[in-house]
Amino acid sequence: MEGVRVGKRIIGGQSPVIVGWENIPKVEGGPVKQFVFTWFQPTILFALIAFWYYAPNSIAKASTAIGIGIGFKVLLLAMEWAFPRHESWRLTWKELTTDLFYVGLGYTVLRLVDDYIGDGVMIESILHQFDWDKFSWFLGLPLLLQAFLIAFIFDFGQYWMHRGMHNWYPLWLTHSVHHYITQLNINKGAVGNPVELFLIGLGIGGFFDFLPRAALLAGAFGMAIGTYQHINVRFNSPRWWRYLFNTTEHHSLHHSQDFEASRSNYSNTFIFIDRMFGTCVDGEAELLGMEGGRRMSIREQMTFPFTEGWKTMKERFGRTTAVPAE
Amino acid sequence: MNSRFINWIWHVRGSLALAPEQSGDDAFERLVPLFRQTGTSHKRTSDSLTFRKIDPAAQDKMSVFDGGVLRIEQGVGGEVLHYNLTSRALLFCFLAPLLFLAFAQLTVLKGKFDKPPAETADKAEALKKAKRESAMLIQNPIDKALGAPAPEKPKKDEKRGGDRKASPKAAYIFAGIFAALYFVGRIWEARLVGSLFRKRLSE
Repeated sequence: MEGVRVGKRIIGGQSPVIVGWENIPKVEGGPVKQFVFTWFQPTILFALIAFWYYAPNSIAKASTAIGIGIGFKVLLLAMEWAFPRHESWRLTWKELTTDLFYVGLGYTVLRLVDDYIGDGVMIESILHQFDWDKFSWFLGLPLLLQAFLIAFIFDFGQYWMHRGMHNWYPLWLTHSVHHYITQLNINKGAVGNPVELFLIGLGIGGFFDFLPRAALLAGAFGMAIGTYQHINVRFNSPRWWRYLFNTTEHHSLHHSQDFEASRSNYSNTFIFIDRMFGTCVDGEAELLGMEGGRRMSIREQMTFPFTEGWKTMKERFGRTTAVPAE
Repeated sequence: MNSRFINWIWHVRGSLALAPEQSGDDAFERLVPLFRQTGTSHKRTSDSLTFRKIDPAAQDKMSVFDGGVLRIEQGVGGEVLHYNLTSRALLFCFLAPLLFLAFAQLTVLKGKFDKPPAETADKAEALKKAKRESAMLIQNPIDKALGAPAPEKPKKDEKRGGDRKASPKAAYIFAGIFAALYFVGRIWEARLVGSLFRKRLSE
């Protein structure tokens, strides 16, 4: 396999990938389908922004956001079922059940743990020490700018945590599990070792809970952009969208079986952060996973970072067997 | 106790009558490509086929099963294919509601041990709290001009911490989701594999 040179790297030398937006297939179908799949993403984003901007205080609450989030995911699941991007990524009962198991962990036991050792505790203590007079400049900014800054700061942190996971072995051990998925579906973002899910959740996003409307708007950015990272639906995303925001195309390349391709597109929401630091590659891949596409069972996903870490430790620091001299 | 009383939970059994002109050998020849998948091993004898799957890919049409036996026997009206397949995915999905119910109990237990933060009488603390609450009421003139609702003081139960109280609701919902998923999966996967075999045999 020859691959394509992108900067100093050869992308697609180990596994098939498509590099360059002009080479990516378009949505097939009549003008109505073309129109819907071109404007669906921007329409939802701007509708959500307008909703959270103007919703009365009695409605602008976290519970409304959770309800909208669940409804949105159900809609996207229906779209995956009706208009799959790749037949090989089609959601099966086993994949849906596995994905929902991880979603369930996130809503229950991880949240419990987070209350004791996660960012919730850190934020609580920071807020306690906070000098509110010094923060009034931020509180006086226009709402949309506040929301963008909250989303950007959070994504910036996630970018470096994610890049760190691909570059530092102990962190990679926790994240590698997520890279064993062989298809992208709407809930695949939740699949991973709980240690990683805890680490990636660390951030100052929750810090802004005291600004309900700005935090909800920032959440809307995450929902109406970040969710498309793992989706089995093809969109004709407008040029400006794919220049600024992360897309399935970008993220499928990140999950490719090609090692160099997987070391790109680290951001969660704003792909321009990758563009800023030279890690963005525009393109897509269908063949995903690790070790030639081996699927990892839930049991192995739970234990892999520890068993693999132990193996490496033994190799590096273990007693070497003395070889008798002949 | 007959294990059949409970092993239907993770076993899928069925039978298909072969066409009168179809031999057992021909039937296995048609079915064998299904077992030439990554992570799948199989053994064939004259009247049976045993297979085992380790970490099958999501794209494998029989990925929900870990192993099984397909046997051809002589029936009243001709030869019949009987199959008995096992699925740990179905078993774990059957047990998953229990796990989430345990998480719910854990959350309830946590709620009992967590004490609400004591209202402080400290003057400095009260001042800080007042500053925090008034800071939240600042609104930029642009937002005011565009008609965004003015921020309000949070009501007591909506304050930070108020809506964070541990609730077992999510765990109960997921227990329900997995119970429903089990019944859908048990019926759906049994039908799918039956129609997959039927299609292969008639191709």
